[in-house]
Amino acid sequence: MADGSAPAATIRLPGPLRERAGRRASVPARGDTVRALILDLDQQFPGMRFQLCEETGNLRPFVNIFLEDENVRDLQGLDTPVPDGGTVHILLSVAGGSPAWLEKRVN
Amino acid sequence: MAARRKYPKGTVMLSIGTKRGLFLLTSKDRRTWKAEGPSMVGYRVYHATLDLRNGPRLYAAANNDFFGSGVRYSDDFGRTWKEPETGIAFAEGSGLSLKNIWIIEPGRPSELETVYCGVDPAALFVSHDRGQTWAMNQGLENHHTRRRWEPGAGGLCLHSIVTHPDNPRRMWVAISAVGVMRTDDGGTTWKFCNTGTRADFLPDKYPEFGQCVHRLLIHPTQHDVLYQQNHCSTYVSDNSGDSWAEIRNNLPSDFGFPMAMDPHDPDTLYTIVENPEGRTNVTDQFTVYRTQNAGRRWERLTKGLPKGPMVRLGVLRHGMSTDSRDPCGVYVGTNTGQLFGSRDRGDSWRLIADFLPSIYSVTATVL
Repeated sequence: MADGSAPAATIRLPGPLRERAGRRASVPARGDTVRALILDLDQQFPGMRFQLCEETGNLRPFVNIFLEDENVRDLQGLDTPVPDGGTVHILLSVAGGSPAWLEKRVN
Repeated sequence: MAARRKYPKGTVMLSIGTKRGLFLLTSKDRRTWKAEGPSMVGYRVYHATLDLRNGPRLYAAANNDFFGSGVRYSDDFGRTWKEPETGIAFAEGSGLSLKNIWIIEPGRPSELETVYCGVDPAALFVSHDRGQTWAMNQGLENHHTRRRWEPGAGGLCLHSIVTHPDNPRRMWVAISAVGVMRTDDGGTTWKFCNTGTRADFLPDKYPEFGQCVHRLLIHPTQHDVLYQQNHCSTYVSDNSGDSWAEIRNNLPSDFGFPMAMDPHDPDTLYTIVENPEGRTNVTDQFTVYRTQNAGRRWERLTKGLPKGPMVRLGVLRHGMSTDSRDPCGVYVGTNTGQLFGSRDRGDSWRLIADFLPSIYSVTATVL
């Protein structure tokens, strides 16, 4: 876990990420920004950061993170401050179907 | 140790990588098939291979639309999967991020713990502990032309890895759309091996690199002989890739993805060429092409394969495989979910499975 004095938040996980977190839908994490929360999650559940962020550090394009009901992309991205007691939702973006660009990449 | 399923000796196992997970099919007689799976249903499995060198370990290239890509391996034929302790990833600060894993290739018989992996953006990763930890080959990544490499329509993918069976310092990789590269010093340095292969889509038709190679194979006994199916024709090299000669001959198209070989008669090759615009069969007859004289002449194999104005099937680069039984079996998976098989070297075919998700890869292994 991160610095015990850092704000504590509740992280709500989507189904595909729960296996890595002991099949829990919700886990605690500490950090004063979304980025710090992700680092703490990765310490608790190794590999979690890679699933949320590309190696460049950017959030994966089809992963959305909401602080309460605000998409952090509309706030300060991964640098969005997280208040003590906040709730962070990790969600899959609505990217269903078979986008043409994806089909093309396979060929 | 994981509990293992038992299969009779001689069972043929087909590992079918699809857009929605991995299917395993097994058969003792190659007439009736038993299906297992799918596993990893949330993943686009571009390739899967069963490595028998050190006890059966099944590797899968697991690509997820949301949460990234990774190698997964199973010691119980897909019942449970593990992920590496140190997975495949680019260095932070490199500016690169992993898009897809394209191929996982077991190493030489002399290096039982070694496994190779090719990815997009083009890079070669190596594991010396059966897939538990991976490291990038720096020689390829730091090649002086690396910044000038351009992707093909499928991405900048390293999709074929060929090791020299006897020379541990020599291997080849194939990258779209860069071409074939070879190392003779164990991966420290790499040179292009594209002389004689065309790049019709570039102003210079015969550049040093920029060719869109689609699949690369090595002759199992004459290790200086390589074959490739390319965006722009079909080729053979008899000098380890230093130069290539065209063997399209009577094939009806330059364009094709897959290629496979009869392991008992390496002059027998199989390919499927397509209409380059539609990327499906050239005529109304879905056809596998076979040569029995190293490409001097190609036969049309159609017995048991579908025909008609509504038949338009495409086969991707890893969508064809042969088994090691004699006569060899040949297997073809389409990107519309049909799996065809032949138990007589391609003379006749049967539909093994239909309605699968889009098939990306077919790998046959005799247990």
